[in-house]
Amino acid sequence: MGTSLLVFRLAARDVRRHLAQAVLLVVAIAAAAATLTMALALNGVTTQHPYAATRAATKGPDVVAYLTSAGQATKLVDAAGVADHSGPYSVASGTIRFDGRVADVFAEGRSAAPTAVDQPLLTAGNWVRPDGLVVERTFADALGVSVGDHVTLNGKSFSVAGIAVTAAQAPYPNLCNGTLLASTPAVSKFSNACPASFNIPLLSLPGHRELSSADDVGQIWTTETDAIGLTSKTSPLTMYALNLKLTHSDDAAAFVYDRAAPTFGQSTAPTFSNWEGLASEDAKLVQDGQGVLQPGALLLGLLAIASVAVLVGRRLSEYARRVGLLKAVGAKPSMVAATFLVENLVLALFAAVVGLVAGWLVSPLLTQPGAALIGTAGTPTLSASTVAEVIGLAIVVSLAATLVPAIRAARSSTVAALNDVARPPRRRGRFIRMSSRLPIPALFGLRLVARRPRRAVLSAANIAVTVTGIVTVLAFHAYADARLAGSSALTAGGLSNPVVNRDEQMLTIITIMLVTLAVLNALFTTWAMVLDARHSSALMRALGARTRQVSSGLVFAQVLSALPGAILGIPLGFLLFKAAVHGGTLPPPTWLAAAVLGAIVAMAALTVVPARIGARQPVTEALQAEAA
Amino acid sequence: MQQEVVLAMLAKEPSQGYQLRARLNDALGPLGEALNAGQIYVVLGRLEKAGLIGLDGDATTRDHERKVYVLTAMGQERVSEWLAEVSWPKPDLAEFHLKLIAAAQAGLADPISIVDAQRRELLRRLRDAQRAEMEEPDGSDAALLLEGIVLRLQADLRWLEACEGTWTTRRRKQ
Amino acid sequence: MKEEAMRKEEAMTNVGAALLRTEGLRKEYGRDESLVRAVDHVDLEVARGETLAIMGPSGCGKSTLLHLLGGLDQPSGGELWLNGRRIDHLSERGLANLRRREIGFVFQAYHLMDELTARENVELPALLAGRSPRRARQRALALLDQVGLADRGNHLPSALSGGQRQRVAIARALVNEPLVVLADEPTGNLDSAATLEVLRLFDHLHASGLTLVIVTHDERVAATADRIASMRDGALVDETRLTGGTQGNLRDLISLER
Repeated sequence: MGTSLLVFRLAARDVRRHLAQAVLLVVAIAAAAATLTMALALNGVTTQHPYAATRAATKGPDVVAYLTSAGQATKLVDAAGVADHSGPYSVASGTIRFDGRVADVFAEGRSAAPTAVDQPLLTAGNWVRPDGLVVERTFADALGVSVGDHVTLNGKSFSVAGIAVTAAQAPYPNLCNGTLLASTPAVSKFSNACPASFNIPLLSLPGHRELSSADDVGQIWTTETDAIGLTSKTSPLTMYALNLKLTHSDDAAAFVYDRAAPTFGQSTAPTFSNWEGLASEDAKLVQDGQGVLQPGALLLGLLAIASVAVLVGRRLSEYARRVGLLKAVGAKPSMVAATFLVENLVLALFAAVVGLVAGWLVSPLLTQPGAALIGTAGTPTLSASTVAEVIGLAIVVSLAATLVPAIRAARSSTVAALNDVARPPRRRGRFIRMSSRLPIPALFGLRLVARRPRRAVLSAANIAVTVTGIVTVLAFHAYADARLAGSSALTAGGLSNPVVNRDEQMLTIITIMLVTLAVLNALFTTWAMVLDARHSSALMRALGARTRQVSSGLVFAQVLSALPGAILGIPLGFLLFKAAVHGGTLPPPTWLAAAVLGAIVAMAALTVVPARIGARQPVTEALQAEAA
Repeated sequence: MQQEVVLAMLAKEPSQGYQLRARLNDALGPLGEALNAGQIYVVLGRLEKAGLIGLDGDATTRDHERKVYVLTAMGQERVSEWLAEVSWPKPDLAEFHLKLIAAAQAGLADPISIVDAQRRELLRRLRDAQRAEMEEPDGSDAALLLEGIVLRLQADLRWLEACEGTWTTRRRKQ
Repeated sequence: MKEEAMRKEEAMTNVGAALLRTEGLRKEYGRDESLVRAVDHVDLEVARGETLAIMGPSGCGKSTLLHLLGGLDQPSGGELWLNGRRIDHLSERGLANLRRREIGFVFQAYHLMDELTARENVELPALLAGRSPRRARQRALALLDQVGLADRGNHLPSALSGGQRQRVAIARALVNEPLVVLADEPTGNLDSAATLEVLRLFDHLHASGLTLVIVTHDERVAATADRIASMRDGALVDETRLTGGTQGNLRDLISLER
């Protein structure tokens, strides 16, 4: 009992003495933990298959048939394998206007009473009523409406009674893409864009416009009366929607194929969609999301690890003397290791909890209803696995940081550890000779780098990771811009494209997190460098170097070690991008140059601050600092 | 036992032999045990013969333990001289130690000034010895002897510094 | 170069005048109850060419005083004059200039750069002062010769003994021909043989006219000075002028032992 108490007290004492360092370590680990939490949440968002949940909650149909006349319904309803149905519902086409935005819609006429198949689930408001329409959720977001707003539909005023989700169609804007059989190779030739599959002559919009792109069409529900009311002589009813539930859901593809294949190309034949196609659409969305997320998460993870590595590395170099001191007063190697472990573990766990909470608080930002389907509503809960992973990370970090001194404690002789002034600095005769010819700041900076090459390499690695991140993100932005140039972020009517939106959002969030981590990392790296050079800086000042010369020297040293790292970051970033996305080109060279330059300038600027602060300390005090 | 020590002891007030012995014992601590009890009377006798002390009060009593001794004018002079002397005794520090105590107890002189004066003298000697040593070739006999002298002087100087410290503290407390 | 000539001229005209002077010099830490007077109203004068030793027990403030004299720390109050110029209110930049050209400081812990050879350590202040690399190197070699380490110029400090490292530090302090050299416990970490080496060197420098202020607790070092000032609790309490002895006195020393 006595020894454990002693271990705790020693650990507490050490933390208090090096409080600033401990705080920085906690911040770094917390940032890493928060990053991990958010990445996992993002992962959860994009890998969830909300379609299945929506299907269950809305009693989603296995097959949806789009009929050209109500009479076509009987044959289908009575067909073998059909267990239940709802509809046929009249579907009128229309134009909706709200707040300066314009969009085409399919309005499906429904009754107030709930149905057995495809009852859209309200996420806000109430179901259809006279003059009150219900808007599909993704479409509602794109249009910017909420419950109670007043919209104009085909020139008539309606109010938004509610917002709902459904499993019968793909969410806006991919309304038409799931409407054909995409699930078996044999029928994939039917999988076309909307117009060809619909091939219904009535599918025309007011003014006889042909539907050229399916992306602009939104789904709304109205009362039967209102739906009929939307039609006119020039713009008759578009079609009828019939929802079918089969005895065996897996038969949906075959069911549709049997009926669609023989009549393909006929203008009056019904067209179909089956649930598997919609599911695969959903899956594609997920894949897209992952395509942005995974390299992003990798980068963030690397950056977080890099920052932690810088800080842990510094602490390790100070441990040698502590190990010696503890052993000299009689502590066994196991107890020495225990003090380090306790200290690191407590700090890391504390940081992990802070990071978890921070990540959990921030992740609602990620769950914009970019996908309309149920699973993404509300705040993602902190799953047990997330908590376990983050805590696990913290434990791994603390173990890693303890391992080195623990081994040292076991191996070294006490005297050797006591006298250890870390490792003696390297002597690089050539650099020293070379530096004599240079002006004082360059002389000082070059000698600093030559003195501790390993630390310079660590610094370079940090910058490399940062620039890699910046380049990858730039490449992604360029790629996203190019890809979405065709499918613009805004439709012709001024609505935002939710898929593009969500991808952009994720990219933005990842960029922000990346920049934050990069800044933190840069802070740690520069601060660590200035601290390590404290004794040398003080000595230079004592021998008559001016403060500005010393500060410039520190900046020079930082830039010198950062430059190769920054340059290396460009190809690395591009490689990472290529690995994640097939296709896409290097961002324009001006961007790259700006990224590298920006990183270098940032490092230089960040070095100046701790350098200036250090320069205020009287020379005498600073010389007491152990020569690092 | 230096005669001057006993003389200086009497400077405070006329005393009997045993009183002087008691004060000496106090001042020397355990080292005082080594003092021969009768030694003091021998010294007192010599001093009387030299005319440096005289008898006070009833001069007739035979019992030398009851005699009260007092300084004569010549004795006073001798004490003042002795206090100002800076010759360094042989490695018996007791004399200097007692000099300080006597001076303090009698209020005759500031012990710290005595210490300072002695320090100055020893520093000068150290300087001379060291200079001489540096002029001799390394490892020669002369250099070795001089090194010994230097080191002893250094040691003595350290003790004098300790004296200064202690007496300063005492003065501050008063 | 022109500056050096000017300085030398000044030196000629000011022979005998105080090179270094303080009036009421103070350095305090803390406030109110926790106020610590590290240097308490010190009045001091050091003449050109003089060697002054400052002695005192640990914690008496002698090192702090030396750091103030050397411009390594800012005084809390009082005046500090060097070569007729007031230096207590100089900016950091001004102090840096001072340290570069007019004051040479020898630290107790040497503070040599581990990764530089002896020669490179010595030439560093010369480079800082703007000398060309070749001139700096020449000067460094000359000084290493003067301190008796001509053959050790290419050794790293780790390959040198304590006394040798101390001598390298002294050489470094001399490289820019300072007006005054300030040495903080120059024999603090040395045994008596190494101490003797350093003392010989100081003696030699003193003979060539260098002004030297040495903080020490070693009486042997103090004995080489012209004057010894004693410090206690931040204040100067005593001053001893050591007049040079003659050979005559030596007999006294020896009879002392008989």
